[in-house]
Amino acid sequence: MLTAHGAGDHMQLVHLYTQAADMREAAGEVDAACFFLTHAYVFALEQGAEEAVALNKRLADYGRAELIS
Amino acid sequence: MNKHEHLSSVLQSVNTANGLPNAHYIDPDVFEEEKAAVLFANWSGIGFGKDVPEVGDAMPVDFLGMPLLIVRNKQGEVAVFQNTCRHRGMILVDKPKKIGGVIRCPYHSWCYALNGDLHATPHVGGPGHNMHEDIYKSDLGLLRIRSYVWRDVIFVNVDGQALEFEEVHADLMARWAEFEVPVHHGGPESSFKLEVATNWKLAVENYCESYHLPWVHPGLNSYSRLEDHYNIEELGKYSGQGTLVYRQLKGEGGEMFPDFEGLSEKWDEGAEYITVYPNVLLGVQRDHAFAIVLEPKACEQTVEHIELYYAQSSEDTPELADLRVKNAEQWKVVFEEDIFVVEGMQKGRHGAYFDGGRFSPAMDGPTHNFHHWVATQLTNRE
Ligand code: FES
Ligand SMILES: [Fe+2]
Repeated sequence: MLTAHGAGDHMQLVHLYTQAADMREAAGEVDAACFFLTHAYVFALEQGAEEAVALNKRLADYGRAELIS
Repeated sequence: MNKHEHLSSVLQSVNTANGLPNAHYIDPDVFEEEKAAVLFANWSGIGFGKDVPEVGDAMPVDFLGMPLLIVRNKQGEVAVFQNTCRHRGMILVDKPKKIGGVIRCPYHSWCYALNGDLHATPHVGGPGHNMHEDIYKSDLGLLRIRSYVWRDVIFVNVDGQALEFEEVHADLMARWAEFEVPVHHGGPESSFKLEVATNWKLAVENYCESYHLPWVHPGLNSYSRLEDHYNIEELGKYSGQGTLVYRQLKGEGGEMFPDFEGLSEKWDEGAEYITVYPNVLLGVQRDHAFAIVLEPKACEQTVEHIELYYAQSSEDTPELADLRVKNAEQWKVVFEEDIFVVEGMQKGRHGAYFDGGRFSPAMDGPTHNFHHWVATQLTNRE
């Protein structure tokens, strides 16, 4: 993850943060999952990547972000 | 005594007026005053549309210390924002870049859409909580700076109080209505920057007058005599000069630039060079045009951003590439010839006994018109 940060590879960051979120979510750790989802979402949003929509939805479902339609 | 008493002699007719006093060129306090009353209160040029050609292009500009961000939005229009994050005031964009989705602040990653709306506030309600009941995104969009694009120049009214651009410059826009056609920038060789040790106003003044042509540009004057030029001056509005003997540049094989479409006969050999007050110098000719933005860096330091435009794009006229280079070189010589005068006049204004100078009643109308306008901006604010 630090490598992707260092290289400015923000698409890679979307994937890595999403993976981290998935793992925490599977472990039932909602706060940690939402922390990682937030990062995945921000980097997806920054690039205008389509992943942003699904990530926003996941956060909104947990009541952690407004749903952006 | 009122603060601007000393400007009363500037406000007289050109025959008897004096120019703006030295302080307007060398005193940092007056520079600050003019920054507010002249440059921020009117429509000043800060850049060119061609520098943000595509949707998502973003370019930061420091305009007299004011951080601005020029973007090309989703509609393909130019928009200008204050380049400052609404959270802790971080500079949002520090070098030109392409915005794929949103503008993400590099500090805490608040994200803004290209229309300035605040889109995301990560962790604002604590880790993983991206909302807070007291944070209304709709109140926290980027602050928009009024802007208007004319002849590819991006103008801004920083203080937000000026009349609409089209209202302020209605006469000038009508005068040049025939040139209201698309302009195509000539590419990298048609773009140059001159750094000059002068107050920005002296560059305006020198541009407005033809009096100096035979002395400073003898090359230009060999085919364009002083008597073939006329003064352009509209009190309170704009000024410059025109020529009646514009000659088109020809290449080795006799090739020429294509004309802007639909021009009347007046422009066969006519051309005009006008200052859009305060700091934009424009030139129109049948086959090419130019735009110069004077960037006031400091009281005695100015950068001239010079750009050449054509009726047809470089992609459509590759055969004219050499001619474009030749044309740019020719103009560069002319603009460089002016450097020693604007720098020399700047030095001259450290002569403590200089009284602003007297004008030639016949030749200096356009220069005086500009002084009159500047003085009016200052006295109006009392
Ligand atoms: S200063 Fe911009 S997000 Fe904090
Ligand atoms: Fe000149």
